[in-house]
Amino acid sequence: MAAYAAPREPGRVPAAVLAGVVHILFFIFLTFSVSWKTRAPETMVVDLWSAPPSAPVAAPAATEPRPAPARPVEPEVKPQPRPETPKADIELKEKERLKKEEQKRQEAEKRRLDEKKAQEALRQQQLREAQEASRIAQEQERVAREMQARRAAEQSRVVEDYKARIKAKIQRFIVLPPDVPPAAQAEFDVVLLPSGDVLGARIKRSSNHKAYDDAVERAIYKAQPLPLPPDPAMFRDFRELNLRFRPAE
Amino acid sequence: MNPTVSQDLSFIGMLANASVLVQLVMALLLVLSFLSWWYIFLKMFSIKRAARQSDQFEKDFWSGSDLNELFQGAVNARHTAGSLERIFEAGFREFAKLKRQPGMDVQAVMDGTRRAMRATYQREVDQLESHLSFLATVGSVSPYIGLFGTVWGIMNSFRGLSNVVQATIAHVAPGIAEALIATAMGLFAAIPAVIAYNRFAYDINRLATRFDSFMEEFSNILQRQVNL
Repeated sequence: MAAYAAPREPGRVPAAVLAGVVHILFFIFLTFSVSWKTRAPETMVVDLWSAPPSAPVAAPAATEPRPAPARPVEPEVKPQPRPETPKADIELKEKERLKKEEQKRQEAEKRRLDEKKAQEALRQQQLREAQEASRIAQEQERVAREMQARRAAEQSRVVEDYKARIKAKIQRFIVLPPDVPPAAQAEFDVVLLPSGDVLGARIKRSSNHKAYDDAVERAIYKAQPLPLPPDPAMFRDFRELNLRFRPAE
Repeated sequence: MNPTVSQDLSFIGMLANASVLVQLVMALLLVLSFLSWWYIFLKMFSIKRAARQSDQFEKDFWSGSDLNELFQGAVNARHTAGSLERIFEAGFREFAKLKRQPGMDVQAVMDGTRRAMRATYQREVDQLESHLSFLATVGSVSPYIGLFGTVWGIMNSFRGLSNVVQATIAHVAPGIAEALIATAMGLFAAIPAVIAYNRFAYDINRLATRFDSFMEEFSNILQRQVNL
């Protein structure tokens, strides 16, 4: 059987079609599953260390002029159609008519004046109201400012107090090296964490005495956690501290 | 927020953003995967068919029909005949030829018949086993190809990181995700190929054993006929 020809395997086309279907299914699956994952809600953790800025005082809303009331439609004074009069007593009638017209005109004039006056009064009132509102707003603002100032003063007092405490605590841990000149002063920039831990201490101005600088730096780290005010909103003032140390203190 | 976070992380976007080499690797893997699936289905059909035809022929054979009739049937339906039928045909043809020749002893006739059947058997098994080596190759190599694409992609994304002052995971994450698609595709090509290879190798082995047993039994029947 030399002329043996291997028969072509059956079902080549259906196999190819099925293979294509498998890949298309897989592709669809991947596309959708991957896209779904990207739409997962992003979670975010926010630590609030200071109060958000208070809402702006509602003063400007009050000063806003109220929309003017719709102007009353002025009644149009229509000239009355001239009454037909017989020619005989035309003059008398004419006179009477003139008088009547005059009267009417006067009445209309008066009415217009009244209306104008009323409008003027309304406008005046609006103006007064607006002024009153802006005055109130200013007053509120002033009070708020005052309160803020008072609070700031209080705060700065607390800040000073705690700064002194921090410094005192660090001072306690300083192991004075021998022969430090009493005039030496080391200045440090200390970055704090809300927990009172020291994130970093960097020397800003050296005391020109290496041993003293090192001792202070060691003390800063040893003194943690540093005392901080209980109100976390005040931590803002403690994030970066500038502390000076002298051996005499 | 960070602009890199809002990058297109959908599957198609990642494919489009990958570097050229990674895209080439992915294309290669896609072709390999397609071919291996094609062969998987092809083999599945042909092995199923071979098993079915063998069942049918064994049933016919053992139902006690005349050998000459069976032989005629096999010759007439040569193009649709199954493997077992072809083995039978080759053996019986050779047997008939040898028997007609004068001066052949039983041993020589049986040897010739057996050789003829063995040759057809091997051809049939070879036919069944064709493309199996491709599946084995895809199964073992495509993870490495995918891994190569991934390594390349990650290298690129880290190289891009060197220009950034503050390196965050967001800078590398999209690149790595892109690169990892190559590995995913490699695995996608490899896993079915390996499973199919093992399955088909087992099936073909069973069929071969079946053919073998049939050859032995058929030889016995023929041997009895030589003496007649």
